Amino acid sequence: MRTPRSLAVVLIAVPAWLLTPLHNQIEHERQQFQYGGAPVTRELRDQIGQGMAIALLAGFRGVAADFIWIRAHDHWEKREWLLQAESIENAAKLQPRSTFFWDSGSWHMGWNIARAERIGTNDITIAQGLIRERYWHQRARSFLERGIANIPNRFDLYFKLGWLYDQKLARGCGGDPECVKLQNTKAAELFIRASEYPTAPTYVARDAARSLEKAGDLPAAYDFWVNKIWRDDRRIRTAADRTIVEREIRRLEERLDIPAPSRVFPKTSAS
Amino acid sequence: MTERVGFSVARVGTIAANTFTESLRQKVFNILLIFALVVIASASFFAEFAFEEDVAVVASYQLKSIKDTCFGALSVIGMLIAIVGTAMLLPNELENRTIYTILSKPVRRLEFLLGKYLGTVLLTFVSVVLMSVMFLAVLTFKEARLSQPAKAVVEQTESPVEKQKAQEQVAKIRAEAFDPAIVKGILLVFVKLCLLAAITLLVSTFSTSMVFNVAVALLVFFAGHLVGLAKEAWQAQPLLVYLLGIIPNLDLFNVADDIILGNFVPWAHVGKVTGYGLVYLSGVLAAAHFIFSNREI
Amino acid sequence: MDAIRTENLTKKYNLGWRKGRFLALEKLNLRIPEGEVYGLLGPNGSGKSTTLKCILDLITPTEGAAWIFGVPATKVESRLHVGFLPENPYFYRYLTGGETLEFYGQLCGIRGAALHRRIEELIELVGLAKARDRRLAGYSKGMLQRIGLAQALIHDPRLLLLDEPTAGVDPIGSRDIRDLILRLKQMGKTVLLSSHLLAQVQDVCDRIGVLNLGQMILEGDVDQLISDQRRLSFTVEGLPAGGRGQIEQAAQAAGAKVVGVEHPQTTLETLFLDAVRQDKRGAGEHD
Ligand SMILES: Nc1ncnc2c1ncn2[C@@H]1O[C@H](COP(=O)(O)OP(=O)(O)O)[C@@H](O)[C@H]1O
Ligand SMILES: [Mg+2]
Repeated sequence: MRTPRSLAVVLIAVPAWLLTPLHNQIEHERQQFQYGGAPVTRELRDQIGQGMAIALLAGFRGVAADFIWIRAHDHWEKREWLLQAESIENAAKLQPRSTFFWDSGSWHMGWNIARAERIGTNDITIAQGLIRERYWHQRARSFLERGIANIPNRFDLYFKLGWLYDQKLARGCGGDPECVKLQNTKAAELFIRASEYPTAPTYVARDAARSLEKAGDLPAAYDFWVNKIWRDDRRIRTAADRTIVEREIRRLEERLDIPAPSRVFPKTSAS
Repeated sequence: MTERVGFSVARVGTIAANTFTESLRQKVFNILLIFALVVIASASFFAEFAFEEDVAVVASYQLKSIKDTCFGALSVIGMLIAIVGTAMLLPNELENRTIYTILSKPVRRLEFLLGKYLGTVLLTFVSVVLMSVMFLAVLTFKEARLSQPAKAVVEQTESPVEKQKAQEQVAKIRAEAFDPAIVKGILLVFVKLCLLAAITLLVSTFSTSMVFNVAVALLVFFAGHLVGLAKEAWQAQPLLVYLLGIIPNLDLFNVADDIILGNFVPWAHVGKVTGYGLVYLSGVLAAAHFIFSNREI
Repeated sequence: MDAIRTENLTKKYNLGWRKGRFLALEKLNLRIPEGEVYGLLGPNGSGKSTTLKCILDLITPTEGAAWIFGVPATKVESRLHVGFLPENPYFYRYLTGGETLEFYGQLCGIRGAALHRRIEELIELVGLAKARDRRLAGYSKGMLQRIGLAQALIHDPRLLLLDEPTAGVDPIGSRDIRDLILRLKQMGKTVLLSSHLLAQVQDVCDRIGVLNLGQMILEGDVDQLISDQRRLSFTVEGLPAGGRGQIEQAAQAAGAKVVGVEHPQTTLETLFLDAVRQDKRGAGEHD
């Protein structure tokens, strides 16, 4: 009088199917929170290799991404810029929620590779070198923009992109004032955006004010120092913050020649 | 003659404790030495692959890599213990015929099966806890190393700006190294291991070969990670998707990667995934019980 | 009430896909009243172990049913008062003798001081006092058999099922086991033991049944089955010369015929046991 074993399948199937709504809800939440990363397509597998693809399929996404990053590093040492960039792109693709891959990856493109491409080979003219450098600056920019699309809820990548505008794109204008103004305005916008996150360090807002100044809008910069920084407790957390901000406001009050009664820090009689 | 023998938690406990002792004395925990090696190696390996100027970014990278590696090793070794440990249970009992002496006592087969299962679950739990402790130890060590330069700046610099920046870096490194959210990741890995152990137990109720048990469990492991992809690929065929629903989606248990990245994982989500695992696991155990209670011994 | 009853107990083993079924036990009707020592005899493969496993619900009979003290074997309750010693038992190799008994005692719901007292008693009874703290991995066959007996007795069961209790054990060991069975009998326990070594069963069993190819071919009281009712033998000591002739004549006068006169032989077993017993250093490896 033995009952058939196949009945056991029912004992699993019924709970499994009853779980479908919960399963779908969990999947939905995963998408909402953007857990995981790029699925393993054939194209991705060809790019990252069989071994990494298997690690990925077995649920070791983080480890796979870390090893691809190490590969990027190997390419850097062999001066294989395009391959390095591809590995960086892949690491970021596997873990698009990792600020490190976007942040450090864009730094490699915009700073290290760009510079190496400009001065690295002897048989190109200076102009050609600059063109190559600009290509990598732009690539770093679009890379960071994609990073921001993936991690819009943290200050890090806005700040990094602002920094790229400030350090590379504005300086690459070759003295064209319109261009400098435009790039610095961009940088200021990004620094301001970054400073709005509670986790942003206090120097982020100060960089925003400096970029406004570099964009040539001194009154806006002064206004920012006074109203968005000095009068905002979140920006003045330590004695160091206070010292720096006071120094900068005094400097701008001198430069703009603000009338004494309107000044935040009126000239002391001694000076 | 009207005595009743009800289901006894105490007997389940006795069998579980016995299973656990048996594995302890077989020195199963020696496997954890491998984990210790991985942990120690990972602590020095990743140092050279980040060369940003910001010590906090360098630390962030190294901590991420160490956490990824250690966590990966924890899952793999945990899986080894859970699957192999469970796969051995019934074949050993049958081969040594110890099962005869137990089932000829007033012991229910369900009690025996649950006792055996909980014995390996306990073993897995203790392993996971021990590995987590080693994990924490390496993070403590690494945190001290990584924040050293910033701490030195705090000590030495005259400039208040420098000092403040360094202090912020120290705090950031500390927060990243000891992010308590990792516990959620470990918990879900443990639930996943319990589920895999239950599946292995189910397989071993109708097979007699330990190798077969392990092989099928590994198959289910890969299937469980592929099932999400497969469902997407075959979206057009609802029947197939429906049938695939019977395979547990093991990808759901992987939030550790995201936790390591600092992604927010609410407890509510962890609770749902745990619930999913436990309900599925109960179904598997029910099936195992069903087959085992009809089994010739 | 019968300690054990089976009705048409039949077992056909499935040999696997398309290989059909193997009839290992056919329509066995067994009744063992409480207090009896019953020997189930038969050559290897005759179905003895199959019978015991069916009675303990370790395997499901293809037909028929079994009861223990009136409770159907399919119920857990039927095993409340049964102790079982399997054929060639192995136990958890990494446990010591004491721990093994503790484990089985706990399974039977005995705990605390009562359990420890019981373990002491049993260790003493089966003579493993010196080996109690050694792991079973280092036990000899005979010691395993003893620890097996002890675990079967842990909850002081009313019925004992012993599958080949003396197989592979040296003569001293099997004599001890026989003595133990006799003591159990005196305590009023029911014992069902299986064996293919006939001489050993003879001394302890009240009744035997002989299985062959899964069928019961002979059953009855040991004394009746083995005594030859038509013949009688005398063994005398100190008979003077010529005494033999007188006895033969007396027998003929009574109308009987003398068919054999011989010097009685001791069995090899008795010889062995006596020799070992006289060895001043003690007997064998026991504990
Ligand atoms: N699980 C099994 N599958 C198939 N045949 C079996 C199985 N167990 C026992 N047998 C066969 O049944 C017969 C009776 O076995 P068993 O009861 O163990 O004999 P005994 O204990 O008298 O030596 C033997 O021929 C044996 O080969
Ligand atoms: Mg047998």
